[in-house]
Amino acid sequence: MNKQKSAKAARTRNNILVHILLAILAAIWVFPVLWVIMTSFRAEKGSYVSTFFPKSFTLDNYVKLFTDTSILNFPKMFTNTLIIAIFSCLLSTFFLLSAAFCLSRMRFRMRKPYMNMAMILGLFPGFMSMVAVYFILKAVGLTEGNLIRLALILCYSGGSALSFQIAKGFFDTTPFAIDEAALLDGCTRWQIFTKITLPLSKPIVIYTILTSFISPWVDFIFAKVICRANADQYTVAIGLWKMLEKEYIDNWYTCFAAGAVLISIPIALLFLKLQKYYVNGMSGAVKG
Amino acid sequence: MYKRMKRAAAVLLALACLLALTGCSSLGGSSETESVRLMVWSPSEDQSQDSGQWLQTCCENFAALHPEWDITFVYGVADEATAADTVAQDPEASADVFMYANDNITTMTDAQALAKFGGIYEEEIRSSNSDALLDSLTLDGYLYGVPYTTNTWFLYYDKSVFSEEDVKSLDAMLEKGVVSFPFTNSWYLPAFYIGNGCTLFGDGTQEELGVDFGGENAVEVTNYLIDLIANPNFVVDADGSGMAGLRDGSISAIFSGSWDYDSVKEILGDNLGAAALPTYELNGEEKQMYAYAGSKAIGVNAHSEYMVAAVELAIYLGSAECQQLHYDLRSVIPCNTELLEQEEIQNDPVVIAQNDTFDRTSILQPFVSQMGNCWTPVENMGKAIRNGSTTHDNAEEQTVAMNEAMNSDGIS
Repeated sequence: MNKQKSAKAARTRNNILVHILLAILAAIWVFPVLWVIMTSFRAEKGSYVSTFFPKSFTLDNYVKLFTDTSILNFPKMFTNTLIIAIFSCLLSTFFLLSAAFCLSRMRFRMRKPYMNMAMILGLFPGFMSMVAVYFILKAVGLTEGNLIRLALILCYSGGSALSFQIAKGFFDTTPFAIDEAALLDGCTRWQIFTKITLPLSKPIVIYTILTSFISPWVDFIFAKVICRANADQYTVAIGLWKMLEKEYIDNWYTCFAAGAVLISIPIALLFLKLQKYYVNGMSGAVKG
Repeated sequence: MYKRMKRAAAVLLALACLLALTGCSSLGGSSETESVRLMVWSPSEDQSQDSGQWLQTCCENFAALHPEWDITFVYGVADEATAADTVAQDPEASADVFMYANDNITTMTDAQALAKFGGIYEEEIRSSNSDALLDSLTLDGYLYGVPYTTNTWFLYYDKSVFSEEDVKSLDAMLEKGVVSFPFTNSWYLPAFYIGNGCTLFGDGTQEELGVDFGGENAVEVTNYLIDLIANPNFVVDADGSGMAGLRDGSISAIFSGSWDYDSVKEILGDNLGAAALPTYELNGEEKQMYAYAGSKAIGVNAHSEYMVAAVELAIYLGSAECQQLHYDLRSVIPCNTELLEQEEIQNDPVVIAQNDTFDRTSILQPFVSQMGNCWTPVENMGKAIRNGSTTHDNAEEQTVAMNEAMNSDGIS
């Protein structure tokens, strides 16, 4: 009897300790986010404050971000980024899933070499190639005017077929028997892909969409190298970076925080909507 | 065999396509004699409607002055600090005329992107600018730009706290009010060392002489700085804390440059004072602080297709007329010698402070390539003194270590 009681007490004590630890960790983790959000509503100007909580709150930073467009045109940057992110997302999702399907379902001579090559190339950071990419795009004439958007879309989606590994692993878990049954019923490869594999693999499709939307949405390096002096083509990442330069920082710091909050909204929405698939995406298609 | 031929043919075809594509892009702008296409880059404030579209106005005036050319202007945004990197990335696809800060001059000359000014053009530039300013744009005897403003930092102070006599000496200021200094920023901290006779690359161009920041005089400065930071009226300015202190009234003087003028003016209003750098008292002697100074200039791309027009435009953008407009629209401090004699400009405290700093209390910031090694060690020294890890006990050792690091490129 006594023994049972002490075991229970020990469990409660452990639970309390663990929860306190978790609460502290959660607070530490949320602090910076909270701070950015509070800064975005801060009424005092300047980049430095001596208090953690702003002394007064305002919406002006958001208003300024969208109305004061003569020096840093945030609405334009936001639109540019949105267009680029949506199209790159569609293209690279298609590339990636197609490549993963082929590698999972078909057997051809270049299959192994391709997978090895993708593995090795994947070990290098993408921006190692940025200067080469810039000159290739320039040779094709994509580095001026509105074509820059196209150039960026190509940049972000072009390499996506190299990161097929997770999707391929997922497709591998769908039994071949299903494909064979479909083939017997007269399905083509394309029909198998669109009518059978994809519907069975919703989690991984969602996961791919999410990751391929986020990478162009937050990318800085390629946008900087390719946009150069074309201010009307700037993406949000470049705009936010500009706001922190010494000429602008005192006036634009709170707007910078507002911008940071705004760009996190689409990602947060996508994530909340698709969250349940995100976790599933890491397991397999057919269970049991 | 057949297969191999097919493959070779495919490669050839791909190459041909690529050539055709590059060919197309260089076909533009052909023979029509009068039509000129000039790409011009400037900071975005110079093109914004709110501040009067300085660049567009000047370019249109230029076009009106030259009816012999039918000029199409293409505007791009590149601020002076980063223009050099953008131009050096790909000179051929960069602006014909752009604005840059002189400390980046070697980045562009290394990329062979910067045109030299010579002949009548050089004479014209020399006739309207001071020699010190032109030195900042001269490399191996060649002139690489048309200067339009000086670039340095000076003192902003609250007139209700300090008198004009006080701001001549840092120690006098510290007795009367709180002074903030960017102690951990290596663009500012060397002011004390240079004040006590430390040198960088001889006269700034003799790379082989190296940096002399390690002698007895440097150790004295380090010891002085350790005492300075202990002074309760001396506050380190980092991450904008100086401006924030000025705003809430806890700080009465900061060191910064013309880019902060609007903010300081808004905070101090009529009490705004500006002055050249003060002196500081070291072992009973008054030593003058010396800022790094440079210039901002208009450069011409060495790859420009319309060289004459580009050079003429650069000279026009740096002329007295355009500098006057720049000053009226955006308070960019002029440097044209005739313009500086005008009464309106002579009475502007910020113009006086900046030009006085440039003439009297600054050294030309060296732009030899080894200068790149000098930033981090000095910043680390500032941080170490602030954190208390450099003390009177190890000041000598730390100073010598800083000097060694400044003279080494880290590969040995």
